[in-house]
Parts: sequence; structure tokens; C-alpha cells
Amino acid sequence: MSERIYINADEARITYKGFCKVKLEMYDGRVFDDLEPRRLFPLSGLTKYITLLSPEMKEVALIRDLQHLMPESRQAVEKCLDEYYMIPKISAILDRKEKNGLLKYTVMTNYGQRSFDIRNRHSDIKNLYDGRVLFRDSNDNRYEIPDITKLDRTSFLKINIDL
Amino acid sequence: MEDNKPLINKVMPESARNFAEKQIGDGEKLLFSIVGDLSLDEKYSESAMLITSCRAVFIDDTYDNGFFSAAFSDIAKVTVKRMYGNVRMDVEFRSGETMTVFRYTYAVADLCDVAASFINAVASGGSVDAEMDAVKAVYENKMRVCPKCGRPLIRPGAECIKCQSKGKLLSKLLKYVKPQLGLLIAALIMSMMSTALALLPPSLTQRLVDEVLPNDDINGLITIVFVLLGSYLIGTLLNATRGYTLRIAGDRIVRYLRNDVYEKAQHLPMKFYDKTSTGSVINRIAGDTNTIQAFMLRISQEIIVQFFMLVGITVIMFLKDWKLSLLALCPVPIVVLGAKYFSRKIAPFYRKIWKRWAAVSGVLTDTIPCVRVVKSFAGEERATEKFKRYNDEWYKVDTNSAKITTTFPPIVNFVVTCGSLLIWGIGGKWTIIGYGGLTVGLLVAFLSYVSMFYGPVNFFAYLSDSYQGALASAERVLDILDAEPEADLGKGNCPEKIKGKIEFKNVNFSFDRAKKTLSDINLTIEPGDIVGIVGTTGSGKSTLINLFLRFYDNYEGEILLDGVNIKDIDLSYFRSRIGYVQQEPMMFSDTIFNNIAYGVPDAHIEQVINAADIANAHDFIILQPDGYDAMLGERGVGLSGGERQRISIARAVLKNPSILVFDEATASVDSETENQIQEAIERLISGRTTLMIAHRLSTLRKANKIVVVDKGRIIECGTHDELMAKKGKFYRLIQIQSMSEEVRKQKAEENFD
Repeated sequence: MSERIYINADEARITYKGFCKVKLEMYDGRVFDDLEPRRLFPLSGLTKYITLLSPEMKEVALIRDLQHLMPESRQAVEKCLDEYYMIPKISAILDRKEKNGLLKYTVMTNYGQRSFDIRNRHSDIKNLYDGRVLFRDSNDNRYEIPDITKLDRTSFLKINIDL
Repeated sequence: MEDNKPLINKVMPESARNFAEKQIGDGEKLLFSIVGDLSLDEKYSESAMLITSCRAVFIDDTYDNGFFSAAFSDIAKVTVKRMYGNVRMDVEFRSGETMTVFRYTYAVADLCDVAASFINAVASGGSVDAEMDAVKAVYENKMRVCPKCGRPLIRPGAECIKCQSKGKLLSKLLKYVKPQLGLLIAALIMSMMSTALALLPPSLTQRLVDEVLPNDDINGLITIVFVLLGSYLIGTLLNATRGYTLRIAGDRIVRYLRNDVYEKAQHLPMKFYDKTSTGSVINRIAGDTNTIQAFMLRISQEIIVQFFMLVGITVIMFLKDWKLSLLALCPVPIVVLGAKYFSRKIAPFYRKIWKRWAAVSGVLTDTIPCVRVVKSFAGEERATEKFKRYNDEWYKVDTNSAKITTTFPPIVNFVVTCGSLLIWGIGGKWTIIGYGGLTVGLLVAFLSYVSMFYGPVNFFAYLSDSYQGALASAERVLDILDAEPEADLGKGNCPEKIKGKIEFKNVNFSFDRAKKTLSDINLTIEPGDIVGIVGTTGSGKSTLINLFLRFYDNYEGEILLDGVNIKDIDLSYFRSRIGYVQQEPMMFSDTIFNNIAYGVPDAHIEQVINAADIANAHDFIILQPDGYDAMLGERGVGLSGGERQRISIARAVLKNPSILVFDEATASVDSETENQIQEAIERLISGRTTLMIAHRLSTLRKANKIVVVDKGRIIECGTHDELMAKKGKFYRLIQIQSMSEEVRKQKAEENFD
């Protein structure tokens, strides 16, 4: 097993290459092209432990914390991650209907308004300890309420039935 | 679906309709369209992809003209990049330029996949008509959903199990009550008799106070006392008999309900268990069925009794004194409104309490059977902490609900008591001033009736509490009872002889839409072939086997056995013809004998012994103090990994299967045991089609065909020598293993030295 390259701070420059890919230039002279940033913890750690994968899907390097990168490098990685991960953040529950055992939610998200179906409230709605609520719709798309305590009262009462 | 009509997944947005009407002209035909749900800049909006006979058009507001058109002749390749929650379609042009042309969520991912395949095939010279067959199949599959709820159906036109039942949630469970109707009617009659008897004492009390006591009528007094004694005696007898009858009916209801839920749980597909913890299933079978039983008895008995009591007492009260009766009714509206409010408040709590309790049970079912692992990793503290955390969560929700459930009854009691005080105050005053001929006896009797009247009022007020609890339980039990069972469309189709030819044709599979687990699997295995399936961990080897064993049926393409689609063969029969040996063999809490005979419960003793002998298991079984009667624990406590594996092979031997499947059967045993197991396997496989997933490539020495799986695709297929000559992935795997074997041998020698 080769030694894992950790990127801790400003020892690397990362530039955006398009199509969710970046170029990594280490200050010791090593250069890696066409790397794809992925989160190791897409749910619990949005800015920490970002792996950089080669086109063969092998890990080339691991960024410990995005916040410690140089601003340009950070923006390049963030651009890829924003494009890759689509977990709409729900800011309001506009409607909730239950028909034939199927929950139909209409919500406002940071991507716009969306309606989706939940097949099983027990397994497809997860209430996390940090106040987040995760949804998985009937098509396997994901949604998130970042902090349930910050929802308006009407929205809270609608979602509270299923928590 | 008519051939000349373009295929659509939903009504096209106006911009796409306009384009189709105005810009698809002569000689060009719209073949199919896909309405997407994301714009290129990742906003929810309606976009569309129109595929015509000569080009692909992408309609999206983010394009300058609102659309982008790409002729097939300009396209070199279309790729689909599945990301997290969204998918990107990129087109590589012959000019060398690459651009993202379409973006969508997983809702239309299947359709866009087939569109990409279509474009690639046609762009590289394929026939439009031939490629349209695959597109049509995916569209048909996509449209095979319930029109009411959108859930996938088992087959086109099938009735949706969910919709069929959810509308009448609790009424569906009444089928368990029907067989007990005789007992329940008997109990009901007894209830009504005892209720009628309960209405007697207040009237007698009135006579006692107004007539017997003032007139010193000893005979009348004795008569009334004996009549009261008789009514109490009969009431007691009736109540005892009714209690026993109800208990019997209740136990039968819960027995049948539990049996059905358990039976259904056995026939649920693996994808149900992938998403539902076993703790939650156990909770439903053990706990929820009891809650439903209690509610069933309540609605089939007490509602009727309480209703009759309410009507009976109201009539008696109005006959005795209509003015006092109106006073007595004053608290009723408050109680009814309060009950409605209470019902709305308490419903979410029942779901929350259950969810928290299911989490607690989940920890139990995870850690108690794995207690060895917990102990060996010194995880007792952590396990306890986790349990406490979940239990505390349950406690919080339960105590929160207690605030409502414990506050409501005293409030109702208070309101009801106020009603009695009203009778005492106003009725007492009327008795004192002699208004309306109200006597002391009548007032006392009336007060008795009022207290009896509030009983049913209370009952109906609290009914919503148990109704909500039962509703939540019914929902979870029906989640199992109504879950889509393993599809068995070929029930009854049991081919006389299975030769063992297996074909995978264009098989694609994903556990969820986020990532394809198997892609384009095409494989033919001839009868009697011994096929080794190799690949790195996570490459899709076991999934391939899982599809063949029909643990998952929702794949694209076909798997054939002797030319017949395996979905068209009787599921039970199909599995009975396959011997399956897992890496981690599960032992049931039963004797060694019964564990071997699990697949053939009526096997003769000598058959079992013979099977154990073939599996190299007999020699260690006879050394057990209890021999074949030795009891095994849930995970085969008392036996080594190799011994458990040999029992599991004996289980397969006894079945005399036509096809054998070994899933890394020797992965977790030492070399000596491996040899013994290998020997047993070689005896077993002769003449049978055999699929062997092998981690140690040395175990594939008997294989006449080796399939190398990588990232969900078959990348190499051939004999050992062919693959070695090819110097591809298999060659590299062999080299890596030979090196590690060498190192291992050296280490072993060093240790001996």
C-alpha cells in the first residue's frame, strides 16, 4: 500500500478543470491531472476529508480540511463538490398529503420548489441527533432539512407528524 | 403502446411541444422524448430531451435559444455521469469538443440511460429500429406503476397491494376478527345482559328511599336486598364468563395475525430487509400485533356495549326527569371537543414512540447476537452508551406524550364531576323546595345514573387514544402484510429436469439509482460447467450470484436457466434445485442433524450421515459428546468456522441440487481446513453446474471457465490458461496472490526456524 498523500494546508495548488475535475500540483513537484473530489463523509462532514480520485477511481490524495486550503484551491474543489452533490436543503414544507399510504411532500429548497413522494416514513425519513432531517424520495433522490428547529411553525407541524 | 406514436414519460412542457411541432420537419420522425426535472445550472425546472430519427434535441431554458440540437452524425460518444442526487449527460463530438447537454435527477435516470445507449448505438451506425426495442422495453417498465400511488407493480395491470388496502386500514384487519364472531357475539350478549343488570340497582334504590324506608316495609326491604344480591351474582358470573370468552377470542386473533405477519416476513424480498432493521420487524411481529388485538376487542365489544349503555341510560334519565337530564348533558360538548383536540395532539407521539422503541430494539438485535465481537473489542461501554442514548430518546418522547395522556383523563374527570355537582346543586335545591315533584329517592337514583352515564362518555373520549395507538400499529403491521412479496409469476412451473445451462443476457442492476452495481452482464454457462467468479472486493461477484438466486428481481435484462427465464420458474422449486454455500454459514438453534436436514426435513438418518460424510463433517460430528444431537447456537456456538462450513456443505449435499453456488466458502478458514472443505466440494460438484466465487484463486483449480468481474462488469472470461496467456486482470491477481503466498510461506518457515 503506497503512502497516502494528505493535503493539510497550502502545500498544494488545486485548479478547476471542468466536468467535476481538478488538477493537483504538489509543491514538491508532483502533478496529478483529472482528479475528481469526493466527500468521504457526505452526510456528517461536508468540508472535511475530501478524497481526490484518479480517472481509474483510485485515491491520489486526501484533503483533511477544505478550510485550510488556499482560497483559489478551496473554490476549485467546492465547485466540483457543489456540482457533484445535490442534496437540496429544504427551507419550508409547503404541503404534505397522505394518500394510499404514500406521503406527498411539496417543499421549497435552495434549488427551487419540488414535489416528491415518500414510500415509507419509517425508513425514508431520518431524524438525526444534530437537528438535521434527511429524506430519500421514491426515486432515491436525497433532501435535507439542515436544522429542524429553524423551520417556520407551519412547516414544523407538517413534518413533525412523520418524525 | 402504438408503434407510430413517439414514446413519452409525461406531458411535454410547452417549449418542447412547440419545438416538436415547428422544428421537426420532413423526413425526420420524433421517436421518444424524456421530460427532465433539472436545468443545466441545477435548478428544479422542466427540461426535455427529444430523440428523433437523426438527432438529439435538448430543451432547457439555460441554452441561448432555449434548445441545443446535436446530429447523430456529429456525435462520437454520449456518457452519463451519475453523481449524488443528480446525473449529467455529456456529449463528446467528433470535433473533439465535449459538453454537458442535459442534467436530471434520478427520477428519469433509467430513461436517460437507455437514451444514451440509443444515441451511442445509432451514432456508431446501428439500426434505429433495432435499438428502439430496448428503448420501448424501458419505457414499458417505467410505465408499469400504480396510477394511484406511483409504486411499481409486480406486472403490467397488476393490482397495487398498497392502494388495495391502505384506504381501509383497520377494516382489513377485521378479517382476523370474523372467525371469532361466534365467541364475540356470545361475549357481546353477556355484556349487554350485565349492562342491563347494572341499570337495575339505581331504580331499586329510588324505591328503597322513597317507598320502603319511609313506610317501614320490612318485606319490601328484604325483597329488594335479595333482588340486588341476585343481580350482583348474575352480573359477576356473566362478567367472568365474558372475560374468559374474550381472552380466548383475543388470543386466537393475535395468533393468526402473528402467524400471517411471520409468514409474510419470510416471503419478503431481500430489498425489504436491506432497508428495514430486523429489530423493527421483530417489534412488529411481537408488539404491534398485541396492540391491534387489544383494539380489535375494544371495537368489537366495548363500543357496542358502551353505545347501548349510553342510549339506555339517556332514555331512562329523560324518562325520570328531562330537566335534570339536560343538566347532565352540559359537560358532554366540552368532553367531545377535548377528545378531538387530544386525538390530534397524541397521534404523532405514537409514531415517535414507536420509532424510538424500534431504534432501541435495533441496538438489542445488533449487539446481543454479536456479543463476542463486542467483548473482543472491549466495546461493552460503548454498546451500553449507545443503548442508553437510544433509550433516553425513547424516554424523552414517552414522557412528553405522558404530559398529554396523563393530563387529559383528570381534566375529563373534573368536567364530569362538575356535571355531577350541577345535579347535586340544582337538583338538591329543587328537592328542598319541592319543585317539579323531585323526591330524594329520585335524586339519588338520578345521581347513580349520571355517574353511569359519564362512563360511556369517558370511554368514547379515550377511544381516540387507543385508536391512534392501534392505527400506528396497524400501519406498521400492514407495512409487512402489504409489502410486495417476492414475485413468483412462474408458480407451478416446475421443469421435470434441470440440465443446468445458465445465461445472463444484458443484465444491469443497481441497489439504488445512485450507482450501478452490475452493467451489461452477458454470460453463458453450459450444463456441468464449473465456473469460477473472481474479482476484487466490491466488484459485484456476490451480486451476480444474488441475482441468480433471485434475492433481487428488479434487474434489467434476463437470466435464463435451460432457456427459460428464471422469473418464470416456480420460485420455491427453483431455489430447491440450487445448493448454496455461503462464506459465513448460519446455523439454526437446533441439533446438528436438523441443521443438515434443513432443506430436506424428511431425510432418512443414513442420508444425513452420508451427506455429512461427503462433506467431511461426519468425523468431527462423531467426536461431539451429543453426536448428531448436539445443539447449536444461533451462530453455531461450539463449532469452528471450518466445521460450520462443512455442515453447511452437508446441507447442500443432502439437497442433491442441480446447480451449486459457493460464495467464498473457504475464505475464512486455515489451509488444512481449506483442503478438507475443498475435497468435500470436489466430491459434491462432479456433474453439476457450479458457480464458485473464490477469494483464493488456488481453489479454482477444477474450474473450466473463469469469469473476472471488475466494477460491475465482466472484463475477462475464459479458461485458466487463456486468461493467463492474456496477461490481464486475472494474471495480475494470480501474481499478487502467488507473491503473498510466497511471503506467507517464508514467514512460516522463519517462525519454525
